[in-house]
Amino acid sequence: MFKTKYLACMLGLGAMLAGPAFAQAPGVTDDSIKIGIFGPMTGSAALFGKAVFGVEAVYKDVNDHGGINGRKIDIVREDTGCDPTRGTAAVKKLISQSQVFAINGGLCSGVVMAVKEEVAKAGVPFVIIGAASSAISDPMMPNLFHPVATTSNVAKTMIDFAMTREGTKKIAVVSHSDDWGKSNRDPAVDHLKEAYGLDPVLDLTMERGSSDATPQILKIRNADADFVVLMMYPAEVAIFLRDAYKYGLKVPVLAPQSISLKDTRERVGNDAAVENLYVFYPYAHPTDSPEMEKWGKLINKYYPDERVESFSYLGMSGALAVVEALKAAGPDLTRQKFMDALNDLRDFDSGISSAPITFTPEDHAGIKGGAMATLDDGKVTVMKKWQDK
Amino acid sequence: MFVQLILSGVAQGSIYALVALGMTALFRATTIVNFGHGEFFMGGAFVLYVMINVVGLPFLPGALLAIVVMFLVGMTIERVLIRPMGLAPHIALAMMTVAFSFLFRGIARAFWGREVLPMPAVFSFPPIDVAGVIITTQDLLITGMTLFFVVLFFIFFQRTNLGRIAQAASANPRGASLVGINVNLFHGTMWGVAAGLGAIAGILVAPITLLYPDMGALILIKAFAAMTLGGFGNLGGAVVGGLLIGILEQLSGGYLSTALIDIFAYLVIIAVLLIRPAGLFGIRESQRV
Repeated sequence: MFKTKYLACMLGLGAMLAGPAFAQAPGVTDDSIKIGIFGPMTGSAALFGKAVFGVEAVYKDVNDHGGINGRKIDIVREDTGCDPTRGTAAVKKLISQSQVFAINGGLCSGVVMAVKEEVAKAGVPFVIIGAASSAISDPMMPNLFHPVATTSNVAKTMIDFAMTREGTKKIAVVSHSDDWGKSNRDPAVDHLKEAYGLDPVLDLTMERGSSDATPQILKIRNADADFVVLMMYPAEVAIFLRDAYKYGLKVPVLAPQSISLKDTRERVGNDAAVENLYVFYPYAHPTDSPEMEKWGKLINKYYPDERVESFSYLGMSGALAVVEALKAAGPDLTRQKFMDALNDLRDFDSGISSAPITFTPEDHAGIKGGAMATLDDGKVTVMKKWQDK
Repeated sequence: MFVQLILSGVAQGSIYALVALGMTALFRATTIVNFGHGEFFMGGAFVLYVMINVVGLPFLPGALLAIVVMFLVGMTIERVLIRPMGLAPHIALAMMTVAFSFLFRGIARAFWGREVLPMPAVFSFPPIDVAGVIITTQDLLITGMTLFFVVLFFIFFQRTNLGRIAQAASANPRGASLVGINVNLFHGTMWGVAAGLGAIAGILVAPITLLYPDMGALILIKAFAAMTLGGFGNLGGAVVGGLLIGILEQLSGGYLSTALIDIFAYLVIIAVLLIRPAGLFGIRESQRV
């Protein structure tokens, strides 16, 4: 009898001591939730790393307001340099060594594609910050959530915008020939063919690191294109626009969400050279509007030296969706409950993204729709069709 | 279109030539292939950026100071990193240049990693339209500076006693020191000159290419292609090689495919090494056995 009682006591004590460790998910303690963040903080694509500070600012703000269900968010950041090999190592470290509860990361599609299998195997919830390739969320992976306008969505918006101008027939495409360039160019060319029965009048390349766009500009001028679609990184877009101005090419130029209007104007150093530039705009309001400025101030609250620009906001909607789902998952947090909460997210309007976020168990590409923006007298103007100008 | 592509090719080629010129001058003086020259190019541009935007200097004094700073950086590299290696094999010296190249790039990334920065043009005149052919003052400046420096170096190496001493010191450093030449000082000065020349190229080109820590990496490949095509160690060859690559890139992009522009330099390196390893103006080395 004594033995039985003793055993029961010991088992009870053991359960009390070991209980929390067994009950709680990896990366979760009574007072913290460990979230892994990764992005290109160094290297040639480090400009995109600005979005990491936006994401971290959201989490730090949540912590300063008491956390979620009594837990503070513990951020673990890794740098990928936009290199798939480094990215894979970083994600393995987050999963195995840091043992994070979830990952909110990825701004380079190449890196995200490289780490997808690793994350799928580990079953860690993975919310993308800004990598836009459609292949990230199509086909759907149960633990990967994509609260970003995908390249298909961006390309469709750009082409549809061009076609709203009466008489548009000739669209020239200039892209990088790397994976990123292809993942942006291909959906645009496909949509042009499928929706309008057109092929690009020119399909050109301009590689990363190029310092001149003369051959591309002269070809476009000779082809008498109605629009130019640029699927390129910020530095090369600036060089293209500078050369377009130099050679007197006055064709409207469309660029994806990786391009910031104001930064491009600053880089080109000439207002006239960017007056024909229209970019996919991932946000609900102009970046200099009061609605967006409050988010910029939030970033600068935690990172006073950080220069806030268009990229800085890219992952903030996703981070707010993560916070929302963590709240909905309740105090007995598990990865499955968190993913269920994300799957239940409908029309989540962060006030930042151009369209609300909706996830379903069948579709994890969370943002559908978008708009274009241009500079009008130095101010960002958001527009849905050509006639809105 | 043809004339425009040629002119644009000359402007692009002048950039490659200017970078190749600095590498060639150092190679002739020290026989070291400097894989870190792209970082002299990047360093010059960033030092000028700091002079203008942080110190608040106007362009010209800022540029002169940036060249002086990079000259001192070059001399310091020779004194601290190269000289202690003494008569180490060429491959070891080349690896040292690779190492400091990545070190410099890393330092630049630490400060400006997330930025692609603009640099104001040296002149802000509008492009000149001559019968439909566009020329910019920046292009003219780069081409002019390239010509100026190639003439300057040609005169230095071929027509001055100091230049002849320089060549003697690189051909036989021990013999040169036995006859009283301060080889170390000479090598340090040539590293400084090469870094200064890299800085001049960076300062002239930055308004066109924009500033970012990796800006020297691609230009280095083009400069290598120019040196290979012109003949390693030949100053005129480096310039002709640079101009030819610039022009052929533009013509292939304009008339064949824009995809060829970026791989052209690699095609040149492969073709020259297979067909004429000594390059256009190099002298084939033969060894009597």
